[in-house]
Amino acid sequence: MIMNDEVKKPDEGGSQPSPQPETEIDQLKRKLDEYLNGWKRAKADLINYQKDEGKRFEEIMKFGTMDFIRDFIPVLDSFDLALSVLEKEGKAERGVYMIRAQLEDVLKKRGLERMAVAVGALFDPALHESVGEIESGEPPGTIAEEIEHGYLLYDRVVRPARVKLAKWKQELTTNN
Amino acid sequence: MSKIIGIDLGTTNSAVAVIQGGEPKIVENNEGANTTPSIVAISKANERLVGLLAKRQSVTNPKNTIFSVKRLIGRKWSDPEVQRDKAWLPYEIKESDAGGVEIKMSDRWYKPEEISAMVLAKIKADTEAKLGEKIEEAVITVPAYFDDSQRQATKNAGEIAGFKVKRILNEPTAAALAYGLNKKKNEKIVVYDFGGGTFDVSVLEVGGDTVEVKATGGDTHLGGDDFDKTINEHLVKEYKKQEGIDVSKDPLALQRLREASERAKHELSTSVEAEINLPYITSDVSGPKHFLLKLTRAKLEELVHDYIERSIKILDSVIKETNLTIKDIDEIVLVGGQTRMPAMQEAVKKYFGKDPHRNINPDEVVALGAAVQAGILQGDVKDILLLDVTPLSLGIETRGGIFTKLIEKNTTIPTAKTQVFSTAADSQTSVEINVLQGEREMAADAKTLARFMLDGIPPAPMGVPQIEVSFDIDANGILSVSAKDKATGRSQSVRIEASTALSKEEIEKLKAEAATHAEEDRKKRELVEAKNSAEQLIYLAEKSLREAGDKVPADVKSGIEKKIEALKSVKESGDASRLKEAAAELSQEIQKIGAAMYGKSDNAGPGSAGEEEPPKTEEGTGTSN
Repeated sequence: MIMNDEVKKPDEGGSQPSPQPETEIDQLKRKLDEYLNGWKRAKADLINYQKDEGKRFEEIMKFGTMDFIRDFIPVLDSFDLALSVLEKEGKAERGVYMIRAQLEDVLKKRGLERMAVAVGALFDPALHESVGEIESGEPPGTIAEEIEHGYLLYDRVVRPARVKLAKWKQELTTNN
Repeated sequence: MSKIIGIDLGTTNSAVAVIQGGEPKIVENNEGANTTPSIVAISKANERLVGLLAKRQSVTNPKNTIFSVKRLIGRKWSDPEVQRDKAWLPYEIKESDAGGVEIKMSDRWYKPEEISAMVLAKIKADTEAKLGEKIEEAVITVPAYFDDSQRQATKNAGEIAGFKVKRILNEPTAAALAYGLNKKKNEKIVVYDFGGGTFDVSVLEVGGDTVEVKATGGDTHLGGDDFDKTINEHLVKEYKKQEGIDVSKDPLALQRLREASERAKHELSTSVEAEINLPYITSDVSGPKHFLLKLTRAKLEELVHDYIERSIKILDSVIKETNLTIKDIDEIVLVGGQTRMPAMQEAVKKYFGKDPHRNINPDEVVALGAAVQAGILQGDVKDILLLDVTPLSLGIETRGGIFTKLIEKNTTIPTAKTQVFSTAADSQTSVEINVLQGEREMAADAKTLARFMLDGIPPAPMGVPQIEVSFDIDANGILSVSAKDKATGRSQSVRIEASTALSKEEIEKLKAEAATHAEEDRKKRELVEAKNSAEQLIYLAEKSLREAGDKVPADVKSGIEKKIEALKSVKESGDASRLKEAAAELSQEIQKIGAAMYGKSDNAGPGSAGEEEPPKTEEGTGTSN
């Protein structure tokens, strides 16, 4: 950043009438402290900036592809849907599974990981998104069904797992 | 002294920014996002959730998920807006004892400011974690039309969250601050803010140090969400027409469609056509069904045309209210994600007949402006040391009259730079250092600040001696230049007091000159550089022939000599491309020496050319600080 030159000269000592020797030394000491501290601060700022930049760079390397990878998730979803339809019809060809695995492998190498979601597990909004409720044998408020897989890029959620929750018994009674 | 942060507390999303290194920067939240949904919930597991996490469970917990609380804050129960919102908000609200609004979340009643405070508290905690320091003070923005009671309630929300609220700032003023428009004198600014759920127009007048709101208007129920809804409805209708299937009954299909249409909307801001491709969207008795539709930008614009038209009508009536004409408006600022849509920018541009400001992210501009205000309030912090910059580049003259820059213009001082150079001829025992200042490419067009000689260099072939040249500018702008022969340690130096003492006009003139001569200078430099490398190549070829002697067959020797002559003849022609061509031919020819000497078995061998080639120009073996 460009700052215009308004650096004030702190030197006005000459115009003061015969300063006491102690005061002058004190004055100089004060300035010395101020300058030394300013210098230390500038050094520290630089070192901190370098650290922050390093961290930022690491983050960019790690998460810079996040948007790109996120765009692949609907493709994985479509694969899942296609496979489940083919399975029902008994026509799921092994090659199709292999293509899906290929795609998933490529993304895995870049840090993408599918969340393991278990039916009956506790719903956690840090990882899951609830899209509805169904009556289920599971304890109310827990995950009854996984609708769409969730994915993590390293430790960040790229997409939460979309789940249906088991209905609360309380609500069933209030609804009646 | 801790930092003051700027917070845009929005109806749907909030953002926070802070001044870092003199510039406002958005601070990411814990989830790694630049904005935080303004949503609070008590989950079924009885946990309090704020932001994205609250949003993720809203579908199954609508009664205890509180959003859009900004629509209620500081308002009276009898306010028509409250009565209108009461009908569609899925959570329960009631009149408080004081005539205000209270919201039920789980089994307790909360004031709207308590809910907003939870959003602010999350922002505070996340910002502290991100910046690694305690945050105590904040500037919070509100719509320009907020009355005293709404402002006071927002301030209270900040205080409940543990902030000292330094200022409640108008959102349009914040947007103007982000663009630096507060520095203008007597300007009239229109801020067109098309958010997710609300539309606001404000007319501001900037004068001296104050920003006055002349008029405001808008529609509290017009926003980008309406666009999404309209696109979605269109797609569902089209699909029904095409396939006879109504996907609106299938929640999962609808969710996929919603996401795809939002993506398409964003895509259509940069491209003219988007494809919505959703295989296996649903199925019927005949088997799986797929969704494949093209949406053009033209179609999208047709779909949302009425919304944009409505916003322009509101804009027009607000400006009429101020008794100003369109010509009186100096600047227009766009705020809100939806203003990325080209048709919307076009509509605003058409209305005013001039381009609006839109280069700052419209989702972040209000928070950034709030941080600018925070920075102004923080003001006299002692740790900002004003540092000067060198207004012009500094360097030395090198072979062929080239101006080689060591310190580029706008480098912050104090600074130092060292570079190693060499000699331009065999047995050269002295070098002249011509210290130059300016932006042009050739030494003749730059200003000479000083000249000095370094002598006593032991005789050596050209390119072998290492002369280290150092430039050092201290905090007062005093330039010291030194040259040192690394072999003997002999050195010379000069001190130039007035290297930065140029008037503003002089500097501007020199910079302008450099710009006008840029192309011509580039060509001149290219020619000199080609000539320099041609000379070096000739030198090398002749030397190689001499050293190889009889080991080179006569036909190879004469071939090389011919090419040398050819290069010599075009050397002074002033035609850089012919020079380069001839040089390339010679350099190819020289390879034959190596091939001949190492025999046929190794025709691509190391060749004398590669090993002994001196640096291409005088610039030597590298730089260091």
